Amino acid sequence: MGGREATMVLLDENGIRCDGRKVDETRRVMIKAGGLKNADGSAYIEFGDNKIVAGVFGPRDVHPKHMSDTDTGILRVRYHMEPFSVGERKNPAPSRREIEISKVIKEALEPAVMLEMFPRTVVDVFIEVLQADGGTRCAALSAASVALADAGIPMRDMVAACAAGKVADTVILDVNNEEDQAGQADMPMGYMPTLEKITLLQLDGILTPEEYEKCVEIGIKGCMQVYELQKKALSEKYFDGENGKGGRGQKR
Amino acid sequence: MDVRRRYVIPGDTITSGPYRPEQNVTLVGEKKIVSTAVGVSEIYDNSVKVIPLAGKYIPKINDLVVGKVVAHTSLSWELDINSCYVGFLPATDVFGRDFSAHADELATKLRTGDLVAARVANFDRTRDPLVTISDRDLGKIDSGDLVEIAPGRVPRLIGKRGTMIQTIETATNSIITIGQNGRVVVACDDAEGLLKAKKAIRMVNSMAHSTNLTERVKEMLESGNGAPQETAERREDDGE
Amino acid sequence: MSEIIDSLKRARIEELLEQGKRLDGRAFDEFREISIETGAIPKANGSARVRIGDTEVVCGVKIQPDRPFPDSGDKGIFICTAEMLPLSHSSVETGPPGPHVIELARVVDRGIRESHMIDVSQLVIKENKSVVGVFADNVVVDYDGNLFDACSFAATAALLSTKSPKWEFKDDAPALVEGSEADLPVGTIPVSVTMGKIGQHVLVDPNADEWQCMDARVTITTNSDGNICAMQKGGHDGFTLEQIKECGKTSARIGAEIRKKFDGISAGSDTEQ
Repeated sequence: MGGREATMVLLDENGIRCDGRKVDETRRVMIKAGGLKNADGSAYIEFGDNKIVAGVFGPRDVHPKHMSDTDTGILRVRYHMEPFSVGERKNPAPSRREIEISKVIKEALEPAVMLEMFPRTVVDVFIEVLQADGGTRCAALSAASVALADAGIPMRDMVAACAAGKVADTVILDVNNEEDQAGQADMPMGYMPTLEKITLLQLDGILTPEEYEKCVEIGIKGCMQVYELQKKALSEKYFDGENGKGGRGQKR
Repeated sequence: MDVRRRYVIPGDTITSGPYRPEQNVTLVGEKKIVSTAVGVSEIYDNSVKVIPLAGKYIPKINDLVVGKVVAHTSLSWELDINSCYVGFLPATDVFGRDFSAHADELATKLRTGDLVAARVANFDRTRDPLVTISDRDLGKIDSGDLVEIAPGRVPRLIGKRGTMIQTIETATNSIITIGQNGRVVVACDDAEGLLKAKKAIRMVNSMAHSTNLTERVKEMLESGNGAPQETAERREDDGE
Repeated sequence: MSEIIDSLKRARIEELLEQGKRLDGRAFDEFREISIETGAIPKANGSARVRIGDTEVVCGVKIQPDRPFPDSGDKGIFICTAEMLPLSHSSVETGPPGPHVIELARVVDRGIRESHMIDVSQLVIKENKSVVGVFADNVVVDYDGNLFDACSFAATAALLSTKSPKWEFKDDAPALVEGSEADLPVGTIPVSVTMGKIGQHVLVDPNADEWQCMDARVTITTNSDGNICAMQKGGHDGFTLEQIKECGKTSARIGAEIRKKFDGISAGSDTEQ
């Protein structure tokens, strides 16, 4: 932080990005399933310098009652950033940005979650961004999906997410904060690997039709890499040795 | 008996063969059968199912459940049964047919926080499950310690024809009530027996799919200290 | 937390207390294991993650120039908040905080403020015009009782680990002095100790089950000199004079032990105690 060069080189002549990555490389990603004692399911993700925890409650009774649906369960998602998660202290009250992101994440998860099995109930997904560094919505969505599986909510598929984008006229994978600020395009994507469906898609910036297709393709590749780590996280909790809620480590 | 087992997470394709999809799986396209839960998939005869390792209890008629009284009105109690729905226990079930909302005070029979052994009498997802405590062995639980396990692991705790639970009960001189909803109440006069029984139940919960589980539980129960080394167990099956 | 404890467990807790024991085997004046990890949020100026049993709190400190309060132009601003995240317990609802969360935030803030841990008179950039604002925001990630002490420890550790930027007053506005960082002006180290009363028994650091059975509680903060600097009594019952005197002594004695855990924490440190 601080003392940033006025003219930052986003992509050097060897195709290396400002943080040392290649164009098709994601940042370091670590996912852990579980970790919270009270939530029915939870997950923690570090995606580059993003640090995000997701907790799931439900299916459970709907409060307020009038929101409940007699034919199906409902999904509620709250994406929220801590005051200390960004450069300047953020007001703790939800911003318009957080409300929109909550909505797109919810709609990215809905195709996967089999809510119709639980009429009159709600599944609550709470996402807390402890530290933000560009690409929080993708990291949040990936963590939320693991937390839902950890809660045993029936799902048709996992949802994995990663962004693609464009800097220095080049299509790249997993846009970081600097690239988002100074780059030309940022395209977050969420993807169901088995059902092969894109469930989150946004774009900020200008892409040619060719670049657009390349972006979607490389984005899905990124999602598949995240998916492997989601699988690993769930395997570590459930299939490797001791498992269940008791398997809480001292460190995340 | 040929059972093919494998660890799966939601979205994992279990088979594309000609099998009948049962619990916790879904059909994708014409014949791809995909898991909807974290758990162990089983291909048995011509059917495919997944035994979930996480998740809440889904009520089934006739299941014995251990419920906790969370509220009451003048006509009924609400029981937390570790499910997405609350158990509905009508006052008439306890007071009989001549129950009178004026004369009979529900709190005299069951209070908030009380644990009860109940049976699911009716459930169809459109209404909350109706439970009853009017049968032998049902009703308020007066003593014991509550242990919670994953509902999917209840069959393992009971064991084939009750072998597992009998092993634990005999070795520790305890009486164990197992709710299908994953709530287990252990009653034992001897403090050490209680500790051991609880340990054994937790052991089954965390190692539900390892080989010789009964043997290993026995070993722990017979060891003097009641503190088994909960070593990482290896998977038994051909899967992964 | 409004989760209903089952009556068997409540009975067992009370029965054990009569025998001088606690359900988790602790002595009446014994804390659970406390873990303090600083530097958990590198983007904040200071941060800490504290665990007491399964209670988990993350605190981040942000430092930024601010306008002073009109009646204290010669003092910087220190504000400590606390929030229960909805993922910390099933009964937490989104939306504005309820009375018990507001009480929590105020008690934690008061304990640190009244101890004069942070010397706000040293946080002035230009008197009556511009001062340094120190915000310590606590978020509760997981709940297992005794949030008062967990938040207090997290805020204290985060403040100790804080590297503060520096500003100078130029052209009628605060200007960042590049490449210059300093520790916060820290005096004493406050330690809060919360005790719960169940029946006639007083227990240090009640866990979630004990919190649920508690008739009354008291939080007492002591400073490095062993003096008491803030208190808060809560709950629907009272303490006898004898009990409350004893609580004062306990808080000083236990507080001194816990204070040692903060010894190794200094600005910019990245440690686990």
